[in-house]
Amino acid sequence: MKKKSIFGAIGLGLVASVIAASCGGSSSSSSSGGAPKKGGTVHILSMGEQIAHLDPQRNYTGTDLAFAASTMQRTLTSYKYAEGDAGSEVTADLATDTGTVSNEGKTWAFTLGDGGTFEDGSAITCADVAYGVSRTFATDIITDGPTYAISYLDVADYPGPYKATADQQAAFDKAVNCVDKTITFNLKVPVADFNYTTTLTSFSPVPKALDTGEKYDMKPVSSGPYKIESYEIGKSLVLVRNDKWDQASDPIRHAYADSIVYEFGLDPSVIDERMIKDAGDDQFAVSESIQPENLPTIFDDEAFKSRRVDYYDPFVSYTNLSVKNLSCLDVRKALYLALDRDALRKAGGGPYTGDYADGFIKPALALDYAKSKMLDGLNSDGTANVEAAQAAMDAAKASCPDVAKHAADGLVYYYPDTPVWAKAIAIWIESEAKVGITIKGSPVEASKYWPTVMNPDTNYDIVRGGWAPDWANASTVIPELFATSGGFNLTRNADDPDYAAFDAAVTAAKADLDRASQGKKWQALNQYVVDRLWALPGTFLKSQSIWGSKVGNTYQWGPYGSFNFGELSINS
Amino acid sequence: MTSTIDSVRDDGTGVPVTASIVGKSPRELAWNRFRKDKFALFAVGVIAFYIFVALFAPIICSALGISPTRLDGQALNDYGLPDGPFGNISTSHLLGVEPGTGRDILARLLYGARVSLMVGFIATFLTTTIGVVLGVVAGYKRGKIDAVIGRMTDLTLAFPSFLLIIALTRPFTQRLESIGVPEGNPARLTYIVLVLSLFGWVYVARVVRGQTLSLREREFVEAARSCGAGNSHIIFKELLPNLWAPVIVIVSLSLPGYVSTEATLSFLGLGMIAPAASWGVMLGDSVKYYRADPTYLFIPGIALIVLVLAFNIVGDAVRDALDPKGDRQNLL
Repeated sequence: MKKKSIFGAIGLGLVASVIAASCGGSSSSSSSGGAPKKGGTVHILSMGEQIAHLDPQRNYTGTDLAFAASTMQRTLTSYKYAEGDAGSEVTADLATDTGTVSNEGKTWAFTLGDGGTFEDGSAITCADVAYGVSRTFATDIITDGPTYAISYLDVADYPGPYKATADQQAAFDKAVNCVDKTITFNLKVPVADFNYTTTLTSFSPVPKALDTGEKYDMKPVSSGPYKIESYEIGKSLVLVRNDKWDQASDPIRHAYADSIVYEFGLDPSVIDERMIKDAGDDQFAVSESIQPENLPTIFDDEAFKSRRVDYYDPFVSYTNLSVKNLSCLDVRKALYLALDRDALRKAGGGPYTGDYADGFIKPALALDYAKSKMLDGLNSDGTANVEAAQAAMDAAKASCPDVAKHAADGLVYYYPDTPVWAKAIAIWIESEAKVGITIKGSPVEASKYWPTVMNPDTNYDIVRGGWAPDWANASTVIPELFATSGGFNLTRNADDPDYAAFDAAVTAAKADLDRASQGKKWQALNQYVVDRLWALPGTFLKSQSIWGSKVGNTYQWGPYGSFNFGELSINS
Repeated sequence: MTSTIDSVRDDGTGVPVTASIVGKSPRELAWNRFRKDKFALFAVGVIAFYIFVALFAPIICSALGISPTRLDGQALNDYGLPDGPFGNISTSHLLGVEPGTGRDILARLLYGARVSLMVGFIATFLTTTIGVVLGVVAGYKRGKIDAVIGRMTDLTLAFPSFLLIIALTRPFTQRLESIGVPEGNPARLTYIVLVLSLFGWVYVARVVRGQTLSLREREFVEAARSCGAGNSHIIFKELLPNLWAPVIVIVSLSLPGYVSTEATLSFLGLGMIAPAASWGVMLGDSVKYYRADPTYLFIPGIALIVLVLAFNIVGDAVRDALDPKGDRQNLL
């Protein structure tokens, strides 16, 4: 659930993956004519020190999911290997079809196809898939991964395969049942789109005999067309062809390149410089990010036209307010009205940052998105409305003097200690000061940012946020961000008088199996949060990528907002 | 006209004027030599100018109508870059604006000078004080005390100081905050000054100890001692006045080092916290824009180079003035 870059080069942003993204985006990303050829080595230039998690049950970062799924971790179902909207359709991978649902959405069955093998040549069996799913439950070892298996599967008190007693294991085997080649999932709640959930690599097979627990993260067993040759944190990850993989058994992957080299720990400006120069091996390289300061160089010059893309990724940026500390709507309104969103957008690269968000659900979630009615007085061009903000602040002084005083004394804003955020915080301080609100910036080392703010003992007033749905349903957005049970609720809104009604409505929306009616419910809940300003909507984000002149098949894969790494090819 | 002891000149009034041939003190001799070094005098002027603008930064900024924190979106184009050539240098922004925010670079430079000079002067004062005290004590007392201080010096020199400074920034800043140093920039600056002093005193102490060792055997010290002078008299009245020359040289050469170190730490993101201005922060930020806005890189860079160069020139000139043997041709 983490994203590498939001608002320029920031270290991380919590965020999941997935969903049809490219609403309108640009179109220059198709590969240069002709069918892709086999052979060659693709390089991926990365500022990260490693892949957050290669262990399929722990992988939850958009880019990393796209990388692992397309190269090494086959799943029961997958998103289509296609550009844009077509890429958000679900298709069969290990299974022969996209699943059979029965029992009013509570039972899902998948039948495995023939010929799938691990890198040691052994066949992928139903038991391997079930074992993989069971690992998610061992939350003391399998950390950071998505927990949908735990919340959906009809099994209680199961501690994962490492510690389970025979009884507990039997209970799990009942919930995830193997008969011959057919795996059946028995769920405790109806899930209409469970076959989207199974696109996550946490539903990938793991051979029990080769499971090394915590160490599996460094050398997972491959079921796809590539396997790990070497992996050195801070240096590189080298993938080579898995000669046991059989093209005929895999309905989606093509595996054009002979090997893929992930280069870690590069300075962001060095990556840009190398990509701009396009010399030597960098002609075979791709980069997932471009620094804001280099955007004009790359996008104003037609020479880059065939090897750059600017598109809407699945992410939304926003600002969490601690509703516990700021328990006064007037103060929250004043904060939002006074904020110079135009300056923040410019600091991130202007139009390349994205569009002003009118909520937390992106338009790409067509069923769940409706244009929200924004706060009265909020300028649509993003500039601050100081008079309206001052009026809200004056109202707050009468209606809730304590909170107004707290805002005047100083609101603590935890931000990642990076140059880009240093500018963003300067913009916050300067714009809020105009209505007498003091912002106290508290820099946190970028790599410790999320652990710090997610710690309940951290007493912040304001923290940043960024999120993308796990699949095309706002059930992976609104409850995750604003329900107390959600995995990424930083708004501390449990004591808000309106919370109980909100929570009841979320429960009702989750249980609604009529997708159109459920969408209406998410739209209303999105508006509900926008009206209460538990968090301030920021930007429907865009991303920019660049690739070397000899790389083909460089389309942006909608659901993950990244390259489809396993499909990249080399043009001679 | 009868002869007199003094030489006599006629100044045109018919009244004889007498002027004594007066012996000059070493200090006067040094000053005369220094005064002839026009290059050094110019450098002194530069330093004085920096100190002046740093001290009066708020007044200068309000006179020019600029501020180090005010955002100016009008000065930026749609992509957040300065909307004009050379970082949008214009009458309203004499040195242009910062990309991304539109803050005035001149104002940030002036406020940044305060940080650089403050760190430089305080760290120099502390290192000099500690170094002189320990150096004199070691050289004068000799024996065990000298051995102990000598080992401390060796130990401090053995530390990979810069790595330690970087590694300890966050934990130590938090520690300072927990014992009551105001949070944020005051704590960071206190930390920087403290660590610079912690590792900087050894150079002063070594030189002072060496000088003291040779001075304490000289006749005037012997004479003072034979007259019954106590230790404190000998140290303060006899030794210290003769140590100033080397100390001044070290000070003038180490101060620019501290200014650069502060900039380096800020560059690495361990210095001043936003939205405060510092040259290192500006340099660190501007490096990213060398392609899109090279002017932004040059301005803080040149400011830093000129200041450090001025201090080094003055340091060299002081050494030359105090030590006539090291005669060197002046360029000017």
